Amino acid sequence: MNYYKNIFFTLLLFPFIINSSAYSSESDKVNTNSDDFKTSVYEDEVYDPLEEFNRVIFGFNNVADKVILEPAAKGYKKLPSPIQLGISNFLNNLKLPLVVVNQILQGQFENASDSTGRFLINSTAGVLGLIDVAEKIGLEQQQEDFGQTLATWGIGDGFYIVLPIFGPSNIRDTAGMILTYVTDPVNAYAISENEEWILPARTATNALDQRSRIIDEVNALRNNSIDYYAAVRSSYYQNRKAAILNIDDNSQTPLPLISIEFE
Amino acid sequence: MKLFSIIIFFIFFNTQQISANEASNWLKKEIDIILNSYKNTNMSKETRFLIVEDTINYNFAGAGIAKFVAGDSWVLANKENKKKYIKLFKRHLALNISSMMEGYSHQKYQLKNTDFDSHSKVSLIEMEIYHDNGSLTVTWRVKKSKERYYIIDLLVANISLVITKRSEFNSMLKNINNSLEELNILLERQNKISYNKIIN
Repeated sequence: MNYYKNIFFTLLLFPFIINSSAYSSESDKVNTNSDDFKTSVYEDEVYDPLEEFNRVIFGFNNVADKVILEPAAKGYKKLPSPIQLGISNFLNNLKLPLVVVNQILQGQFENASDSTGRFLINSTAGVLGLIDVAEKIGLEQQQEDFGQTLATWGIGDGFYIVLPIFGPSNIRDTAGMILTYVTDPVNAYAISENEEWILPARTATNALDQRSRIIDEVNALRNNSIDYYAAVRSSYYQNRKAAILNIDDNSQTPLPLISIEFE
Repeated sequence: MKLFSIIIFFIFFNTQQISANEASNWLKKEIDIILNSYKNTNMSKETRFLIVEDTINYNFAGAGIAKFVAGDSWVLANKENKKKYIKLFKRHLALNISSMMEGYSHQKYQLKNTDFDSHSKVSLIEMEIYHDNGSLTVTWRVKKSKERYYIIDLLVANISLVITKRSEFNSMLKNINNSLEELNILLERQNKISYNKIIN
């Protein structure tokens, strides 16, 4: 029965396919000029002197992701939505004190004020951050970390590095990550109370929560890349660049100059 | 003089708005063709992919993107390798997009902001895809040429598909002396793997 259905649909769509194929040749009549190649050198030149070593770590991380993180993230996604949302809100709320510090260090005083308000509202009315009450009154979640702060102060990214388990980074962002780790008030409290297990548990839950949001995107990239390592490296740099510039819309993302000229 | 300036500004702004809305309406139609094909469970995976591939080939400036992605290697290659590369790249692009769009087929989406960049003559159309626990922004870069629109890039959370591909291909080309012929072999192999994953 399915066989006949397939034939039926193929026949039904045949005129459309033929028609579109005829048109698709129009999209082939595209010219690019030499400027296209000169203007986009920056994204090809990620400084990666440890590439060989990084590829080994990347391979290890990739296996760890396939064997542990991705299946765990798929399991996490099966939890009822309110539970996932609650976990995500709670983790985001814990990050806010350091977000405020970084916003102040970057001179974003209005944003720092909003984030402080957000933290106070969600920690109280939002039941320890489980419910995002603040967003309903227009105080949206913002992300700022020490890596972004250092970049804003003009510190270069150094070179690309793949960290075991933590994944893609660079020297500046790694330094930022260490700063986050040692200055985080939740971490400090956990250590002072001899509850060190909270640190890896929080990191693991955070990784799980973030990974569960990009299962399709990661698979699309992994399954269709001729060089997955380079694709992830480029994605990391584009993503960090947008975060540092606080790009909300995509208008400032480098535009590949493709001129469409018909013959 | 002031009134004249206001009228000129109004006409200019209005023309841009019409152009942006026109692009957005066109894009919605094309996205729906792709997403609806995933919702149709009576269709075989292969038939579905062929429809998606055809829609992508029709609407993406595939050859232009392919040339941009190849960088300097394009200039060095002969005609035969260029032709083969464009054909392989277009399938590669279709496999990438189709694999991503499949994940979005059971989610609600909305085309939100549409901006027209008068300098580059590119429309930026934001598409918000709603998950159970939030949303993801996908931005389409659309360019008009000869009364038709073409997609020239797709950005997921500020990560450009075209720039990622260029970086990826560039890294690969460095290892094979910028040979498009060698790249074609690798691309053909990768396309076969990706195609089998999609249809099985």
